[in-house]
Amino acid sequence: MPPIIDVKGLHKDFKVMQRRAGMFGAVQNLFMPRFRTIHAVDGVSFTLQEGELVGYLGPNGAGKSTTVKVLTGLLVPTSGEVLSGGLIPWKARNKYVAQIGAVFGQRTTLWWDLPVLDSLELMQAIYKIQPERFRRNLADFVDLLEMQSFLNTPVRSLSLGQRMRADLCAALLHEPRLVFLDEPTIGLDVVAKERIRQFILHINRQRGATVLLTTHDLSDVERLCERVMIIDHGRLLYDGGLSALQERFGGAWTLAVDFSEEYANIDLPGLPPPLREGRRVIYTFDHNHQSAPDLIAALLANYKIADLEVRRPALENTIRRIYEEKLL
Amino acid sequence: MHTLNLYFRLIAAQVRSQMQYRFSFWSDLLTTAMLNGMEFLTIVLLFERFGSIAGWTLGEVAFLAGMMEISFALMDLIFSGFDYDYFANYVRLGTFDQMLLRPVNITLQVLGSRFVLRRLGRVMEGSLIFAIALVLTNIHWTTARLLYLPIVLISQVLAFGSLFIFGSTITFWTVERIEAVNILTYGGNALMSYPMEIYPTWMRRIFTYIIPFIFMNYYPALFFLEKPDPLGFPPIAPFLAPLVGIGMLLISLRFWQFGINHYHSTGS
Repeated sequence: MPPIIDVKGLHKDFKVMQRRAGMFGAVQNLFMPRFRTIHAVDGVSFTLQEGELVGYLGPNGAGKSTTVKVLTGLLVPTSGEVLSGGLIPWKARNKYVAQIGAVFGQRTTLWWDLPVLDSLELMQAIYKIQPERFRRNLADFVDLLEMQSFLNTPVRSLSLGQRMRADLCAALLHEPRLVFLDEPTIGLDVVAKERIRQFILHINRQRGATVLLTTHDLSDVERLCERVMIIDHGRLLYDGGLSALQERFGGAWTLAVDFSEEYANIDLPGLPPPLREGRRVIYTFDHNHQSAPDLIAALLANYKIADLEVRRPALENTIRRIYEEKLL
Repeated sequence: MHTLNLYFRLIAAQVRSQMQYRFSFWSDLLTTAMLNGMEFLTIVLLFERFGSIAGWTLGEVAFLAGMMEISFALMDLIFSGFDYDYFANYVRLGTFDQMLLRPVNITLQVLGSRFVLRRLGRVMEGSLIFAIALVLTNIHWTTARLLYLPIVLISQVLAFGSLFIFGSTITFWTVERIEAVNILTYGGNALMSYPMEIYPTWMRRIFTYIIPFIFMNYYPALFFLEKPDPLGFPPIAPFLAPLVGIGMLLISLRFWQFGINHYHSTGS
């Protein structure tokens, strides 16, 4: 099956004027502006299959939002090909945006002074949603996002979490095939985050929407995505499974052990000397070469153990290592 | 049909939004009417002193001023979304992106994004001045004059609206010195409220050949008031207003489209 999103050799350059300081500089700026080219996206290629839910990660200024802007038809790339939902996003804008849904966490698309429901009804008119379908989707979404209590509240009086839910609802009422979410959980508390994640899973699993999720919140990614793409300095550093990423770059696993008694020698064969804090001892090991059950068996055979815990490397640390140490 | 229907729904949403602040709406309406009314009062005092300006009576100047007040305020209402000082924020804050993400004509969305009702205060004030003009002058209302009056008003609305679109388009490139456009919009509005004879020739030339505002209010007024043309233009001059209005609108929409294309390639 052909991919629903096909990006080939995407480049997007921006020209930024470099301002010179001082009086003379100001005159120079006026008559001989000096431009610097920034390669915001520098040769990115990927495909998304229909029904995938992919996390798109990268530090600020890495090229994430530029990619999303191209995919949503807001920006025309400098070069490269994009075919999304069978269309070139920046051509035939009206036709293309009718089949996508996009939410930019920082901004709202709702009418500030009107009740939430009024905004949703305006969306019905904008997307020409049939009344029957509108009623059904609205009922479902209001239920899933628990919006009943604030449907008649003006948008300006909503909390951030409520506003975000209302925005998600508004952007997806027309059941788009392609969904672009940019930081949908930014600044929200744990409960609100979870509700929104449930909803994203619903539109992906139940309604079959293809979702590209841009986020800084790695717990979103761990909860939702099997596949991640990592971009930095305009280039894709990684595109693959989340678990494979952890295995390759996750760094050391740790085994935290609480001994029941004091032991003089607690070294395990093949492991570096552990970190000791009284009876609590922390071993680090390479998950690819040593298995946790073997290590635990060795410990139990020789010592009295009160408690133990195997810790996987946190995704956050993995990603940080990739950016900082240029592992890719 | 759908598009027109949607436009009215967007406007209705704006009206409902403003009705949330009812008190502020009525007080704004009154202040707007009064502030602009003061300007006309100074003109009245001027006539008390001098009797007439360049052969124009108070009633005749009231005709010029009333037309300008009504059409400019109507334009300011209908083209609220294109008010460039405000539109600059659409670009800066990403509101414009949100509009581009909806499957609706972008010009219509900008028009439907704002509808500042308190401008009606100025429409009322302008109507009052126009009523005074009708009392003080003795216009011979033929069918042609009755039909042409709304056409002139609409043309004026379009001409000023074009300047708003023009100014908004500039904000895709820069918001610095956008006030320069004010010289044309607010300056043009003030200038057209008086007979063109009072201005120096170079100024009149600018508003004839560069921005042909002279045909928007002054020449139509000559036709309605049956005054001779002191500048010696062909007799068709009073009827060029719709041509200029539509022409300016088409040019500004072209520029607007060009600006949007530029925006698509640079972002904000």
